[in-house]
Amino acid sequence: MSAGEFWNEFSKSKTGLVGLALMLVFVLLGAFGGLLVPFPDAARHWRDIDYWQDEPLAAPPVWTNAFAARKGAPSSILTRFRTEKETRDDGVAIETFVFAYSFTYDRPPRDLVVRVPGSGRVPMAIWLERPDGLSAELYRDQVDLSGGGENRVSVTRDCARAAIEFVRSRDEALADTMNADLIKPVEILFAKPGSGIPGAPAPLKGIYEIRIRALVVSPDFSLGRPTVIVSGQVSGIMGTDASKRDVFTGIVLGIRWALMIGILSSAVTVVAGVLLGIVAAYFGGALDWLLTRLYELVYFLPVLPFLIVISAIFKPSIWVLIAIICAFFWTGSFKTVYGMTLQIKEESFVEASRALGSGPWRIVLRHIAPMLLPYSFASMALSVPAIIVYEASVSLIGLGDATIVSWGQILESALTQGAVINGLWWWVLPPGLMIALMGMSFAFLGTALDKILHPKLRTR
Amino acid sequence: MGDMTRAGTEPVLSVRGLKLHYFTSKGAVRAVDGISFDLYPGETLGLVGESGCGKTSAGSALLGMASPPGRIVEGSILVDGTEVVGMSERSLRRDLRWSKVSMVFQGAMNCLTPVYTIRELMAETYREHAPEKKRDAVAKGGEGIDNLLAESLRLVGLPAATLGRYPHELSGGMKQRVAIAMALFLEPKVVVMDEPTTALDVIVQAQILNLVKGLKRDLGLSCVFITHDLATEAEIADRILVMYAGRMAELGSSEDIFGNDPRRGSQRPRRGSSHPYTKMLLASTPRLHRRVSELAFIPGSPPDLIDPPEGCRFAPRCPFAKAKCHRDEPPISELGPGHLAACWKAMEDPEYERL
Amino acid sequence: MSVFSPPEPADIILEVRDLRKEFIARRGRARVRAVDGVSFALRRGEILGLVGESGSGKTTIGKLIMRLVEPSSGSIEVAGFEPGPRGGGADIAYRRRVQMIFQDPYASMNPHFRIKDVLEEPLLIHHIGKTREERLAMVARVMEKVKMTPVADFLDRHPHMLSGGQRQRIATARALILRPSVIVADEPVSMIDLSTRAEILHLLKTIQEEMELSFIYITHDISTARYFADRIAVMYLGRIVEIGGRDEVIDHPFHPYTRALIAAVCEPEAGRAGTLRELQVRGEIPSASDIPSGCRFRTRCMYAAEECSALPEPGLEDIGGGHSHACRRWKEIGATRA
Repeated sequence: MSAGEFWNEFSKSKTGLVGLALMLVFVLLGAFGGLLVPFPDAARHWRDIDYWQDEPLAAPPVWTNAFAARKGAPSSILTRFRTEKETRDDGVAIETFVFAYSFTYDRPPRDLVVRVPGSGRVPMAIWLERPDGLSAELYRDQVDLSGGGENRVSVTRDCARAAIEFVRSRDEALADTMNADLIKPVEILFAKPGSGIPGAPAPLKGIYEIRIRALVVSPDFSLGRPTVIVSGQVSGIMGTDASKRDVFTGIVLGIRWALMIGILSSAVTVVAGVLLGIVAAYFGGALDWLLTRLYELVYFLPVLPFLIVISAIFKPSIWVLIAIICAFFWTGSFKTVYGMTLQIKEESFVEASRALGSGPWRIVLRHIAPMLLPYSFASMALSVPAIIVYEASVSLIGLGDATIVSWGQILESALTQGAVINGLWWWVLPPGLMIALMGMSFAFLGTALDKILHPKLRTR
Repeated sequence: MGDMTRAGTEPVLSVRGLKLHYFTSKGAVRAVDGISFDLYPGETLGLVGESGCGKTSAGSALLGMASPPGRIVEGSILVDGTEVVGMSERSLRRDLRWSKVSMVFQGAMNCLTPVYTIRELMAETYREHAPEKKRDAVAKGGEGIDNLLAESLRLVGLPAATLGRYPHELSGGMKQRVAIAMALFLEPKVVVMDEPTTALDVIVQAQILNLVKGLKRDLGLSCVFITHDLATEAEIADRILVMYAGRMAELGSSEDIFGNDPRRGSQRPRRGSSHPYTKMLLASTPRLHRRVSELAFIPGSPPDLIDPPEGCRFAPRCPFAKAKCHRDEPPISELGPGHLAACWKAMEDPEYERL
Repeated sequence: MSVFSPPEPADIILEVRDLRKEFIARRGRARVRAVDGVSFALRRGEILGLVGESGSGKTTIGKLIMRLVEPSSGSIEVAGFEPGPRGGGADIAYRRRVQMIFQDPYASMNPHFRIKDVLEEPLLIHHIGKTREERLAMVARVMEKVKMTPVADFLDRHPHMLSGGQRQRIATARALILRPSVIVADEPVSMIDLSTRAEILHLLKTIQEEMELSFIYITHDISTARYFADRIAVMYLGRIVEIGGRDEVIDHPFHPYTRALIAAVCEPEAGRAGTLRELQVRGEIPSASDIPSGCRFRTRCMYAAEECSALPEPGLEDIGGGHSHACRRWKEIGATRA
């Protein structure tokens, strides 16, 4: 069948086209997805706590706001600011960076993080100006950035006392009841005056300003562009997990691994199974006996205990897992190809070729193998889902490769860090759904291929 | 028009203008495109033609069967007064198949599942086709059914012990006898046999043909015998319908088709077939006892049944074809009592002989 | 000496001596003697028809001659030399001399191959033709020989795009392209329409005369053998029971099996429908794993007597004119050449 004919047939199959479309989406996302995610180098930093520290912990996805009675402030990064420069009477220059934050939600963010890069020693102060005109001093310190670096101020972490002081300025008694370790500073700072504190105070909506004031004192001092990170109640397309990682990024990164593991393993296992099957069935004799015994051994050997032992000896690495998959999963195609070859061997045209004087290799390569190609492609497509699930299962029981970002790994951390117990559905569902989706797309593809390419040995 | 060979006897099977088409993605294949014939009691009608002429489809149609994507689109099939065309599947199964008309399929003997004994296979077929009350008797098992099966085996010349054997233990001829026995279970009026001897050895074939002749004689069986081999047809058929490209080319008695030997008694001498196709087919059939130095063949191949040519369908390959033949479909004309042909040449020049 | 007499040594292109083939049936118990001591000689330019029913061993002989199956004992010689072990030089040389046309025109060609691939294969196997063009030229020549023209029309087609008759022409071309001396044709027309059969047989005959080929024509249809073959050998249960010129064997059969076979053949003539055909055999063919002692046909023979089971199996008796048969009692039966 030529390429043109094949495409004609294939385009008639709806499931095939759906499978192909999905697979293309996966491949594109796998290749270029890194550019689309909010955290481009997340792959390297997946297990780096510092990388994710500004994200909210276990925050639901942004779109859940549509279903929430009280909408939470989403995470965002404020990068635009205006600079006010003034010079004090004593000649000291003061730079103030002003960030505007528009808050129109029902629940204030979890945290506000101010990052100011620079070098040298610089006195810095941070103020919060509320829409109602009240302002709170959040932070005041001599920051030592000698040698370069960044000053990071987290309101939740560092400004509890400042928040209490802000309350004290209006209600001394209330301030006395507050314990710096137990309050939520951002909530207090964003609360409407007069609303019940503590508890869930109704927030004041409007435009807030975060003013970062730095005194340019020493000449060897320089300040880079500051940023303010709003760590929201809701974050990202798929929320964040218990380690503050953006789930969507993890999912997209997982595509690469799923594709790689799935396609590589299925290609190797199918090719191995097909080759061994043909050789065993066609040549027969001792070779057949040997390969069939090998097949039986591998078929009946339980993979899991084997895997556990191997993982104990070598550290669990994805390449070890792929090697094991390749070593065990070739049995399916071996058996089928064995049977098919036995049948093709008896065909009249094979006999005719032998009568002409064909040697065995010519028959295998020119007559038998081409008839098995269609099955091989379909088989490859169809084994990908199983392999992906296999990797996920292995990861789930803790034997996976913890250094990669695979869907199995995401699921594993979800389960071990209590996602189910804590109702963090946005963490558990996506990897499972993706496994199912990718499995489905390969299954559709494989089924369509199988239907079209299934060898028609007779066409009358 | 009927073929009026036997005035006074009613035909047991009457087909008029039967059309069966297969509706494929490429178009409608007009496999059977208008054939008519009668079958009289105790007679064997041969349906002969090459592959693709429509004979197998016509045979299946007699049981109201058309394998998808086929459908009977036109015509009438009267079996003992009942109209088959248009009958519902349920009625066909209940009233017609096996009880009035049964079939021995092509390759039937190869359809016997090897894991069951002959008894089990036959009982299964019986259960499938027998009417309700008889079925209960069968379901209860025991000697009742065995007697029934043994009796039908006896009819075809097989010992009762065959019931306990497995299909692979039987020879081709024996298996074919089993298939014939199964077709006779409910004593149908008409049995359609589709290439029953094609896969058999020469001697076994002769034995089976003898069996069919015997059944004809003893049971008064009426039979439609389908084959591609003219010699086999000559052996068994009283009358023969030659099909070509879904249509009838010629219909006549055995003598009409093959001619008779004028040396044999005082029969009215008949020269033999009148349709060019039949003549050429005959000339292509090798003879054992007549020394023929050259065997004829028909160049070309049968027409496309999705879009058949205008006029006579055999015209492209016919050595006698004239302009009229390519233009107009020849009507069915009567060349002699009960001898019909669809050919302009035969109609206009009945004595034409030399090929 | 008549043209139907046994060939002179210089004439002989293929000689088979006491060929035997025994198969062990799957269960291990049965030994099937498919070919049980067959000897014959084929002359240059001669067509020998091997006629028999199923189980006669005729197809197995074809496979033995083609070396698709190894004999249990006995020898096959082509042009005086025996083929050596498989794959060896002698084996390759043998295969260029002996070629086969198979029964099923649909199954004997790989459905994925194009016609040009089908015909090029033998050339590639035997390293004939150094360039693609050279090989294609040879392919075109052989296609013209089998009248598959215009050649360009057919080269790129797949087998299923051709009719049965056309495929068999290609199969013939494939057998001819190596310019063999002997062609084994196993039921070449039995799966083809009646009206095309003669065309193919006529083609084969023409080619045979032009190229001075020798044919082994295997068939169950003795009528086509009469038309096509020069000599006919009738086989029963693994042995030749009668062999001779075609007219001789058919018009004056001696062996009871040959006579029974001939009596069973239907002819396209009127007036048979009401009469039972008189068959001259009893019972069924015995299993090839359980061949009767003495004359193997005696269990079915109408004329079987004491001596047929008591005495050892008769060999082929020459009754003159190149006609031999294996029946001890032919005189008593009254079989004559008259």
